[in-house]
Amino acid sequence: MLERQLHALSLADAGAEDLAATRERLKDRFPRGATRRMTQLGLLLGAALDDLAPQPGDTIVYASSFAETGALEGYLDSFPTASPTLFQTSIHPSAVQQALIARQHAVGEFFPLTGRAHLAAQALQTALLAPAPRVILCGGEERGTWLLAHRAASDRTFAFALALSRDPAGSLARVTLAPAADDTANAEFTLPDFFDALRARQPIDQLAAPGRRLGVAWI
Amino acid sequence: MAPPSAVHLESAGCLTALGDARATHAALLRGEIALRPHPVLGADGGEHVPLALATGRGFDETAPPNWIDGVRALAVTIPGDGWGTARRPVWVTSSNFGVGSLYAFRRHGDPAHLAYGTPHRSVEWLAHELGWGANVTTVSHACVSAHLGLLLATRALEAGLAERALVFSFDFISPFVAGGFHALKILNAGFPAPYAARATGSIGLGDGAAFAVLTRDAGDFTITAQSLHNEMHHFTANRADGAGFATCLAPVAAAVSGRRVWLKGHGTGTLEAARLECAALAEAFPGAPLTGWKGSLGHTLGSCGLVELALACEAIRAGRAPGTLGSDGPGFRDHVAFAPLDLRGTDGVVCTSNAFGGAHAAFFLGHA
Repeated sequence: MLERQLHALSLADAGAEDLAATRERLKDRFPRGATRRMTQLGLLLGAALDDLAPQPGDTIVYASSFAETGALEGYLDSFPTASPTLFQTSIHPSAVQQALIARQHAVGEFFPLTGRAHLAAQALQTALLAPAPRVILCGGEERGTWLLAHRAASDRTFAFALALSRDPAGSLARVTLAPAADDTANAEFTLPDFFDALRARQPIDQLAAPGRRLGVAWI
Repeated sequence: MAPPSAVHLESAGCLTALGDARATHAALLRGEIALRPHPVLGADGGEHVPLALATGRGFDETAPPNWIDGVRALAVTIPGDGWGTARRPVWVTSSNFGVGSLYAFRRHGDPAHLAYGTPHRSVEWLAHELGWGANVTTVSHACVSAHLGLLLATRALEAGLAERALVFSFDFISPFVAGGFHALKILNAGFPAPYAARATGSIGLGDGAAFAVLTRDAGDFTITAQSLHNEMHHFTANRADGAGFATCLAPVAAAVSGRRVWLKGHGTGTLEAARLECAALAEAFPGAPLTGWKGSLGHTLGSCGLVELALACEAIRAGRAPGTLGSDGPGFRDHVAFAPLDLRGTDGVVCTSNAFGGAHAAFFLGHA
């Protein structure tokens, strides 16, 4: 069984807030001028990461099913004169890169994952297998517009970051991922499910991916 | 952080515009250039840019995507079965997934494309088509994606979470991605000449898919010293002092100290990155020859690390590695090899890839 202690947690549920409002609310959290081209997910994740004060030796795991929806929609709409800025911003791990590039914050290992039904458990497995003393697991989504109308984007905007280590002192929760006999594909536990459980400080003990039982026991 | 211990490579294969791994290796040794000029936006026109499309595949998106036949043909060569079950997990790595389908939908409005447009929809469809179970983890870190999949599979094997692991990568180019690199001005009318000291940089883009089956103890090759580093300095540029390259390469150089290695670099055809890459590799691996194949195959994006791993295996088996294609030189450094390499007496190859955000990845491929 894989196990770590959860030591810090930052959660952001933007609700119906739009990009301009998020930028105005969070502009003081970033270096001057850095927010001008940041996406809503980049802003929210950047603030969440900032709360956990990433260190150079941290491993960062990032999970998002849809990632940079606003930039992707804008880039697709920019054709036939494709926007170079929106192209580079639309790549999957851009939200974390926006935040860390703004702070010139190098990291060793950075694992951006995507997926849907098992994404939370897969991100946790990636985090729990990392040898670094501290691993930051972060994730989130931003609400789409025309892609959402075609079920190709998130219907919510949220972000989170949590820090995991082996040290039990001061732990907020014990996180485990155990082998499970049940190998069915029905073990759906999505990123929004995980975010909602974190926000409610709800214990988790369920099959979350094929052969994987996820546990979060709050202390 | 200590690099993970060795993992065995049981099997590897790839699909490029020149065919499977064996055919591609042979064609590269002959100096064949797969890149051809195509309108950057396909049927919508635009400047002609160098693209290398898989045989018989049209550039414009279809529904279902027209790359599936090539992927199926590659997948039947994967040894073993039960992929995607609890003990035989799959890591899918890509930077494009089916995003070309979203471009096709936005341009032409056919909702049939939507079934393949998001990463999870394209991977779920792929898994269904290839008969995999649901234990499929998807990694997306632009052009170092495949390296991350290899490392995550290695860790699952080391932790006893898997008996065998499959890393599968696919990137098939579309107007979406060609238009983006064209907008960045690095995909242009010029053909790429990786590592060549010239006035203008340019890249090509290519179709690519590949797989690697990893185990703890079976296979002719081992992968060791897997190393990652992310500069987080600039989206599309590296630190000017080359420190990002050096940081990633240092643990690999330490691990292969005293061994005779050759280098398979990233080498897309851009100038400043190539200058830094050449310098860092020469410093970390003095005297080791450097080669790269994107001057023929184009940049296969998130799949390049796995495509080039399969080709490196072919090269080692054959005893000859293709030289850097797209130019006769001179290179930025003397160690750039523009002619095929004789691999007799070498112990293995250091394979590197780079990506947006100053991402660096490297590993050593050697004999088991």
